[in-house]
Amino acid sequence: MSTGSEMQTTSAEELSALVDGELQADAVSAACGRWRNDAESRATWHAYQLIGDVLRSEDLASDAARDAAFLSALRGRLASEPVVLAPQPVAVSAPARSLAAGRRSWSWAAPTAVAAGFVAVAGVLVVTRSPVPPAAPALASAGAAVDVSRPQVVFAPQPAVVNAPIMAEPSRVATGQLIRDAGLDRYLAAHKHFAGSAALGVPSAFLRSATVDAAGR
Amino acid sequence: MLLNRPLFALTLVCAALAWSSGAQAQASAAESSATPQQVRAWLTRIHQAANTRNFQGTFVVSGGGAVASARIAHFCEGVNQFERIESLDGQARHVLRHNDVVQTVWPGKRVALIEQRDMVASFPALFQAGDDKITEFYDVFKQDADRVAGHEAHVLWVKPRDVHRYGYRLWADKASGLLLRADVLGESSEVLETSAFSDVVIGVKPQPELVLHAMKKLEGYRVVRPVLTATSLEAEGWSLREGVPGFRQVSCVKRPLDGGAAVKEPANSPVLQTIYSDGLTHVSVFIEPFNPSRHTRELHAFVGATQTLMRRHGEWWVTVVGDVPPGTLRLFAGALERKK
Repeated sequence: MSTGSEMQTTSAEELSALVDGELQADAVSAACGRWRNDAESRATWHAYQLIGDVLRSEDLASDAARDAAFLSALRGRLASEPVVLAPQPVAVSAPARSLAAGRRSWSWAAPTAVAAGFVAVAGVLVVTRSPVPPAAPALASAGAAVDVSRPQVVFAPQPAVVNAPIMAEPSRVATGQLIRDAGLDRYLAAHKHFAGSAALGVPSAFLRSATVDAAGR
Repeated sequence: MLLNRPLFALTLVCAALAWSSGAQAQASAAESSATPQQVRAWLTRIHQAANTRNFQGTFVVSGGGAVASARIAHFCEGVNQFERIESLDGQARHVLRHNDVVQTVWPGKRVALIEQRDMVASFPALFQAGDDKITEFYDVFKQDADRVAGHEAHVLWVKPRDVHRYGYRLWADKASGLLLRADVLGESSEVLETSAFSDVVIGVKPQPELVLHAMKKLEGYRVVRPVLTATSLEAEGWSLREGVPGFRQVSCVKRPLDGGAAVKEPANSPVLQTIYSDGLTHVSVFIEPFNPSRHTRELHAFVGATQTLMRRHGEWWVTVVGDVPPGTLRLFAGALERKK
């Protein structure tokens, strides 16, 4: 141990703080790194946890071998768990990889998951494109029914629902709740400026449009 | 007021008829629809309450999964009307109205939009002349009374007679006639959009100075005043080959299209906006030169009960917006004809 007693004390304090969940976020990774590389730190960590357990209940007192057996069994189970959404090579080698490698694989997987989620969301939106396909009347009535439980997607020309077009122009998609297109928004605002002249009187229509206008902004 | 008592008796009979036929949803038009006189009386009462009562409350609009609410104060003094609407969702914004001057203020952006809206005059003129088409295109049924925002309310079901418009269910305060809630109903009477007071106090003390003071506080704001120029479809080289039944043109203007949120963008070329109304709802037809960079895709979208259709028409771009079924928008878009 070339570190000296002062360093030892610091790391022990940090581990203690980590046990209590009081360690600053930036120090957590350093403490975990020491835990990974230094057998003594692991022993200290285990001792602290054991102290905490016994303080809570004497029934939790047990020898280190029992905890080690539990931990290795847990690792074995984790390694054999199927990994959702991760490609095969990463899943196979994941346990052996370093933390950094794991992070890299996630940085790749996250956008995929987001993209998949986006496509799923896009599937729930109701969009019809002109020119309207032959089934126009049926399509129109389907479009009028605001029913979230029945996803209705009508993509007229190509059934290629995914990726490029949707990812490229999400701004054109009108959802049930807001329009993500400043252009469309402006037409709506201009349309609603006239709202007061309906037969129900100024406030009803005017209040409605004034209230709703705000939501889209 | 003289009309009220016999009218009430009549409406009771109507309600009883509707009830005994056992089907508020399929009551046949012939037996229980109110007479045009009744309908006019009901709607006039709602309209007058809106213009003569002082009220304060919270107004909620929901449709298609979205909810927006606003705090409303409405004051009347003689013929003058004052209103303050403070939106409670999204970006901070309030709308102040003194008669037909409407001021929309975005405190965050330090932008104020001041508009002149000829909203007050248009309806009574259209309506009280007696040539209103409302009863020609809608049946009106009185339904069981209900309670909204703590007030007893009469319920009216306004049912379209054709497929070109939506239906409505209206809740009007029994004591004052003020509209407390309005639902827009789709083809199978499903609710597309609801706007309602969640709480309201009717008969508050008018405080017009609240609105007037707020309207003067514009130091530090960039004030935008869009200029609307009256014109006509024909003068701009267009015509509507055949109208949609019940809809009449009520306005045609050239206007910049910078609704408020987008005011920091450079002014676009003006857009021609023609408005058609059937007395209860209205449709806007916008025409502008086709611009490939902005008009990238024809589309049909809806939010709550409001439908939008965008279409290219030769060298022009047509946008039709309205609280009507999509088929109606298509009729408008299809009937447009370039005359030059």
